[in-house]
Amino acid sequence: MSRHHLLALFDNFDEAEAAIVELRAGNIRGFNPDDLILKSPIEHPEVEGVLGNKPVHIQWFTLVGAILGGLLGFFLISGAQANFFAQIKGGKPIVPLPPNFVLTYEMFILGGVFITVLGFLICAGLPAKRSPLYSAKVSEDQIGILVSGDESAIAALKAIFSKHKALEIQEEAGK
Amino acid sequence: MEKDIRENIAWAQINKDVLRSLEAPRPLYWVILLVALAMVGVGVGCEIYQYQTGIGVANMNNPHVWGLYIATFIFWIGMSHSGTLLSAILHLMHADWRKPIYRFAEAMTTFSLMTAGLFVMIHLGRLWQFYYSLPYPNERGLWPNFQSPLLWDAMAIFTYLSSSIIFLYVGMIPDLAICRDNMHPGWRKKLYSLLALGWEGTDRQWRNFRVTYLTVACFLIPLAVSVHSIVASDFAMSQQPGWHVTSFPPYFVAGALYSGCAAIISLFIILRYVFKFEEYMTLSILKKTSRLTFAIAMVWTYLNAVEFASVWYSHDEAAKDVLIQKATGTYAPFWWMMIFCGSVVPLMLAFKRFQANIPVLFAVSLLLNLGMWLERWMIVAPTFSHGYYPWAWDHDQWPSLVQWGIVFGSFGWFALLFMVFCKVFPSVSMYEVKEMVYHRSLALKNGETAEEGVH
Amino acid sequence: MSVNNLLENWAQFRHFHPVDDKPHDPYKWAMSIDLDACSGCNACSVACYAENNIPVVGKEKYAHGQAMHWIRIEHYWDEDIGVPGGREFPEQGAQFLPMMCQQCEAAPCETVCPVGATNHTADGLNSQIYNRCIGSRYCSANCPYKVRYFNWYDYPTTDNVWPETMTRQLNPDVTVRSKGVMEKCTFCVQRLNAAMSTARSEGRKVHDGEVQTACQQACPTNAISFGNLVDPESRVAKQWARQQVELTKDKQTKDAEPGGSRLRGYRILEELRPYPSVMYLERVRESAV
Repeated sequence: MSRHHLLALFDNFDEAEAAIVELRAGNIRGFNPDDLILKSPIEHPEVEGVLGNKPVHIQWFTLVGAILGGLLGFFLISGAQANFFAQIKGGKPIVPLPPNFVLTYEMFILGGVFITVLGFLICAGLPAKRSPLYSAKVSEDQIGILVSGDESAIAALKAIFSKHKALEIQEEAGK
Repeated sequence: MEKDIRENIAWAQINKDVLRSLEAPRPLYWVILLVALAMVGVGVGCEIYQYQTGIGVANMNNPHVWGLYIATFIFWIGMSHSGTLLSAILHLMHADWRKPIYRFAEAMTTFSLMTAGLFVMIHLGRLWQFYYSLPYPNERGLWPNFQSPLLWDAMAIFTYLSSSIIFLYVGMIPDLAICRDNMHPGWRKKLYSLLALGWEGTDRQWRNFRVTYLTVACFLIPLAVSVHSIVASDFAMSQQPGWHVTSFPPYFVAGALYSGCAAIISLFIILRYVFKFEEYMTLSILKKTSRLTFAIAMVWTYLNAVEFASVWYSHDEAAKDVLIQKATGTYAPFWWMMIFCGSVVPLMLAFKRFQANIPVLFAVSLLLNLGMWLERWMIVAPTFSHGYYPWAWDHDQWPSLVQWGIVFGSFGWFALLFMVFCKVFPSVSMYEVKEMVYHRSLALKNGETAEEGVH
Repeated sequence: MSVNNLLENWAQFRHFHPVDDKPHDPYKWAMSIDLDACSGCNACSVACYAENNIPVVGKEKYAHGQAMHWIRIEHYWDEDIGVPGGREFPEQGAQFLPMMCQQCEAAPCETVCPVGATNHTADGLNSQIYNRCIGSRYCSANCPYKVRYFNWYDYPTTDNVWPETMTRQLNPDVTVRSKGVMEKCTFCVQRLNAAMSTARSEGRKVHDGEVQTACQQACPTNAISFGNLVDPESRVAKQWARQQVELTKDKQTKDAEPGGSRLRGYRILEELRPYPSVMYLERVRESAV
C-alpha cells in the first residue's frame, strides 16, 4: 500500500496540541503515532511534551568533544615543546605547566563547541532534504502537523484535523 | 511607562518588518556605508605604506615599541565581549528583553574580533612571516613558543572567533529559513536556502537546537572571560611596572563588558533609526541596557580604584612612579580624560530621565567608548616611558599619522562589515521576538483567567 | 613519537634554570665592567657598530629614538646640581654606565616571544634568531634593561646608512638585518663561535684572553673584561669570585652582612631574577672631574 503525507496547518496552538493528543490516542489503523512531525515557527517545549519522550543526545557529543579537545591540546603542545630542540626559554621548564594549562583550557572549549555543533547537525539531521510537504506559513505564525500513513488511515486523519479547526490540509501521495 | 513591543503584534508583521530591513533601509545607511568605505581606504593606504617602508613610519621607537596598535587591539577585543554577555549570560538568566537586540550584539562580537585580529597582524614588524606564529606541523620541527602570552592570545581569539561565528550562525538558522521562505528567486534566495540547511522547524530540529544553543552559550561564558583575561596576561605576565598587576584580568574583563555595552547603545540607536526598528528596539530595552551599562561602569570604576590603591599602598616604587607619571606626566591629559569619560560620564545614566533619551544616550555612549579606548592606551603607553630602567624614562613618543590613520580605518572596517551584515542577514531575531511575544501573551492570558476565577 | 619522548624525558623537561639546573659546561660567557675605569669615551660603542654591522640611522631617526646602539653609554648626574651647597656644574657629578644586553640566564624576553626566536644557548648566551623573528616586539617590551633594538626600516637598502665606500667595511662574519626584526648585543657571538670551533678542532678549551668582544678590545681603560665563567683561572671568573657575586643568586650572600658589603660588584636589577651575566663594579671616585 502506498504511503500518503498530510500536512495540516493550525492557527491556534491549543487546537494543534489537542489534535496531536487525539492522533496519538486514537489508535488509527495504518497510522503509527511516531510518524508525526510537528513544525512550528518557535520552540514549543509544552507542545513537544505531548509527542512523548524523545531524548536529546547532544550532551554526549559535548562531553566527548571537550575531553578530546583538552587532551589533544595538552599532548600536542607538550609534545611539541619536548621536540622543539628542547630550548630553554627564560629559565622556565621546557614543558611548563601553567601556559599549557591555559592552552588546554582553550582547546577544551574549542573541542566542546565544535563537536557540539557537529552533534547538532547529526542529531537534528541537518543539512536535510526538504520534506515532501512544507508551507512557508510554519516559519511565520502557524503550526504544521505532518503525518504519514497508509491510504486507509487518511480519512480518519483528515477528520481529526478538521475537527480541530485546521486552516488548511495539504495532501501528497508518496512513494 | 515606555512603549514596549506589543504582545498582540501579528507574527506575520514581525516577519515583514524584519525582512523589509534587508531591502529598504533609510538613506542614512548608504551614507554610513560610503563613509565607512572611505575610512577603510585611509586605513588600507596607511597599511600599504607601512608594509612597504617598515613599521618605523608609525613613529614608534626603542624602547617605546608598542603603540596605538596594541591599545586598539585591546579595545576591539573588549568590545566583542558584550555580544556574549547579551546572548549567552542573559540567555541563561532568561532575560527576555535581550531577544530583539542580541543578534546585532553577536554580530558586533564577531566583527570586532575580526578587527582586533587585524591589529595583531598590522602590529607585526614582518607581517609576511605571520604564519610563523601558527602551530602547524612542519618538517623542521619548528613550533611557536607556547609560553608566550601572545600565543595564548592567538589561540583564545581563534577559539572565541570561531565559537562566536558558530553561535551567531546556529542561532540564525530558523531566521534564515524564514528568509528563504519569503524571498523572491535571486542570489538572496540561493544564499538563504544554502545556509538554512533545510530547516523546517520540526520538533526534532527545535529540540536539538535548544540544547545546542544552551550548551554553546554555556561554553561561551567562560570562554569570553578567559579571552580577555588572557589579553590581560599580555601585560600581567610581563615584569614591567604598571603592567605586572594581579587585578588586571578581572579589570580587563570588566572594562571589556563596559565598552561593549557602550558600543551596543551606540549601535542600537543607529540601527533603530537606519533600519526602522522602532517597533522592536524599544526604549524600554534601551533603558535596561543603559542601567546595565551603569552597573558595569561602576564595577570598572571600582576595579580601577583597587588597582591604583594597591599600587599606592605597595612598596613597589617603580609601579608607583608609573602611576604618578600617568597622573602628572605627558599622558596626564589623556589619563584624566579617561577617568572623566569612564567614571564620571556614566553617572548620567543613573538619572531616569536620561536612561531612554536617545540623543543624550548616543553622546554618552560615544564618550564612554572614547574613555575606554583611552584606558587601553593609558595601560600600554605610559609603562614604556617610565619603566624600571632610568634610560627609558621620559622617552615620549607621539604616534604618527600613519598609526592614527590605521586606527581610524579600523572603525571604518568594523562599520563596513557590520552594516553589510545587517543588510544581508536579519539583525533582529524574528523567531525569538515571536517567542517573547508568545510568552508575554500567555502570561497575560493566564493573568486574565486568574482574575476571572476571583470574580 | 613525540608523546613518548615527552613521557620518557619528563623529569628532564621540568627543570628551572639556572637555580635548579646543572651549571653550564664547559663555557659560560660572562662580563664584568669596572665603572671606575670607564671614562665614557664611547669607543666601545663605535667598535660595536663596526664589528656587528649596526646601521647608522642618521640624525633624524636618532632624534626619533630609533638608534641601534647595541652598547650605549648612559650618562647620569648627581641630583645636587643647582641646589644650594650642591655642585655648580652638572659635569662634576657625571657618571657613565655602558649598557648592553645582559645575557640573562633566565631572560624575561625569551618566554614572551610568540615564535621562539630568542632562546638560551648551551654556552649561556641569550640568542636572537633574525630569520625566525616576526617583529612582535614583545621581547623589548618585557626587557627590564631596554637593550633590544628594532629594525624600524630596511636599513641595508636605506640611503646613507652605509654610504658607498662604507659598504666595504661591513663585517663578512655578521649578517645585516632586514626590516622588522629585533636585534641586540650578542657578546660578539661570531668571535666566540670561531674561537670555540678552533679550540674544539685542537682538542682543547678556549684559553682566557683568546677571544675578546669588540667593546672590550676597543676600551682604552680596560674597563671591560670578558671570558668564560666556568674556567676558575679566567680574569672574569676571578673578578666575580673576588666580588662574591654568584650567578645563580637573586640576592647575594655578601649583601646580607650587617651594614652591607664593602665589595663593589653588583648586577643591575638582580632582584627581578633575570640572573644577568654582566657584573658591574661600582664607582668609588666621587666625580668625573
